[in-house]
Amino acid sequence: MKSVLLLLIVLLLVTGPAALAQDEPVTLRVLVEGGGISLQLAAAELFEEQTGHTVEFVEVPYPSVFEQLAAEMATGGSAFDVATIDVVWIPAFADFAEPLDALVTDEVAADIFPALLADGLWNGSYVGMPTWANAEVIYYRKDLWEDPDEQAAFMAEYGYELAPPTTWQEFTDMAVFFTRDSDGDGAIDLYGTDVKGAPPGADVEWMVHVLQAGSPGVVLGADGSIIVDNDAHLAGLEFYVSHHCDLGITPANPLEIGWAEGENLFFQGVTAMTRFWGHAYRLQQFDLSGGLVGAPYIGPEAVANVGVAPMIAGEAGIGSIPGPWFNIVPKSSENKEAAMAFVQFMYDQNVLGVQEPLGLSARISAFEQFAGEENYESLTALIATLNGPQTIGRPLVPNWQQVNDEVVVPMVQDALGCEVSPADALAWARGELEAMGFE
Amino acid sequence: MNPGRLLVLALVAFVMLLYISPYGYMMLTSFKPAEDALAIPPHILPRQFSLDSYSRFAKDAEVPRSFLNSFIVAMMSTTLAVSLALPAAWAISRYGSWPGRFFLLVALVTRMIPYIAIAIPFFALMRSFRLTDTWLAVALAHVTISLPLAIWLLAGFLEAIPSELEDAARVDGCSRAAALLRVIVPVAAGGIVVTAIFCFLASWNEFLYALLLTSVEAKTAPIVIAQFKSQYSLDWGSMTAVGTLYSLPVIIFSLFMQRRIVAGMTMGAVKG
Repeated sequence: MKSVLLLLIVLLLVTGPAALAQDEPVTLRVLVEGGGISLQLAAAELFEEQTGHTVEFVEVPYPSVFEQLAAEMATGGSAFDVATIDVVWIPAFADFAEPLDALVTDEVAADIFPALLADGLWNGSYVGMPTWANAEVIYYRKDLWEDPDEQAAFMAEYGYELAPPTTWQEFTDMAVFFTRDSDGDGAIDLYGTDVKGAPPGADVEWMVHVLQAGSPGVVLGADGSIIVDNDAHLAGLEFYVSHHCDLGITPANPLEIGWAEGENLFFQGVTAMTRFWGHAYRLQQFDLSGGLVGAPYIGPEAVANVGVAPMIAGEAGIGSIPGPWFNIVPKSSENKEAAMAFVQFMYDQNVLGVQEPLGLSARISAFEQFAGEENYESLTALIATLNGPQTIGRPLVPNWQQVNDEVVVPMVQDALGCEVSPADALAWARGELEAMGFE
Repeated sequence: MNPGRLLVLALVAFVMLLYISPYGYMMLTSFKPAEDALAIPPHILPRQFSLDSYSRFAKDAEVPRSFLNSFIVAMMSTTLAVSLALPAAWAISRYGSWPGRFFLLVALVTRMIPYIAIAIPFFALMRSFRLTDTWLAVALAHVTISLPLAIWLLAGFLEAIPSELEDAARVDGCSRAAALLRVIVPVAAGGIVVTAIFCFLASWNEFLYALLLTSVEAKTAPIVIAQFKSQYSLDWGSMTAVGTLYSLPVIIFSLFMQRRIVAGMTMGAVKG
């Protein structure tokens, strides 16, 4: 009896809790990052109902998506049938992913933002189907912008109407205007805007302005050549750092401010404007009891004072860097047919993602269906930004993450230290890229 | 009290404050409302006391489950590591032969290999045994971390035990194994407990192997805590609340075992 019990215990320990799980005839395992899982849950439930398959989401922290998939690729594993990956990982996993050309028909392509479509393309084949997209837009405080006294004062000082900024000059003027010591204690308590010097954030925000200045890409050209020191990169960097180094219209510690901090500063009323991702407007309207992981609850009352405008334009027009996620089907999947059907279904039912608190989608029609409705006021700005003439994805090189972490971020941080000129910072970046083997 | 002693006490208090401040800040943040936890600049003390961040523990089944997984994995890896390390350490300390000393050196060298270097081969091995996402896979990975440490610690403790004790047990009819288990282990209990605590902590806090080897069923708490920072949000409140809860068992256990730990730590210090 003792030995049987011992055997049972050993078996339980060896097989672990998985042994307790009930097997399903066809189970699709989908690797997804915790923050975005909600965008696919509703559609996955429908998929289960309509196909009889079971979908098991493997929800992991952001870096683990890459680690787990890289481990699978290195060992030829087949643990996942579908993986939802960040655009920056497309080059790394392109050869590990099944081509999805059959799914990307002309009709499908016409309903996806051009920059997203380009990001999923690798060596002439679509290896990823866009699942949702995001972009940085301009958040501003409506209570300030719509205040008649502020409008009059601004008109008197700058000679044009106070409205959400559309150009670099307007953005700077308004940031200068709203930087103030409201309570007269000698310390600035409202900043016009922020600059992000901490990752994540330091990289993309500068690059957004590079595109607006007319660069055909960021850091590296389409052929992989170094363009980090072209005129547009210099103009973008000069514009970005000037708000901190020359004008002092941002909180004094940019190297401690990344996206999360910038978002909080704005929603706590410390900044009058911020550049941030389009999802935040809707997300802020849900509190933690809504079941959404990690929503920094500020509440509907504060959101009522928040306006969202398209990303500002430089000489070349509106430009931003999209942040799409793609569904890929690993070549090693043992359920490829069902996995392909799942990817197709996620595209077909993409509109369900817009109804989630994150409120994102990859399809133009899905965004347009809700744009302008209550609680979706930000979508119009997001659509305009994603359709911007200078909205272009990051370079599709396998070691982009390394380039970003070891060159782009340190370079922006150096420039934000205000002791190195933007031109010198960019020259340093070129040297580093050459040392990595780029030409 | 003389000024010199006062100065020493002040220095000790200062160093203690330095050590305790990150934990204290985490704990205080866990009692702040969500918007307060995210305030910039941050407030050290909560402006309003709130248990909202702790509600996640009750609402989200993944959190308690991850605690259970962590506990089981830590117990398994600790049991395995101590069970394997004890006879190895005894053989090394009892016989003092050069192969034993060389083995001890090799065990130390394995500590110098970065975990990431063996992570992928280990992952492949576990996958080939169909063990990924099981407690055993993570526990075995954690044994690779704690076993060398356990052998070194136990060898130090066991060297302090006179060999005459084993000889006496053998004279009384014990086999070598029985002598080890019935005589040496009770005498070395303090050292074994200290070793077990270090092994348990190594497993309890480990992140990398758990990240690679688990996905759904065997996910440990450090991974779930990391998930509070996602691509779209940073939930400091819940992160600090779950972090505080996760640290409590170890703190309480250490407080209860304080005497044993201190006794064990000084055990190998003076050899007879």
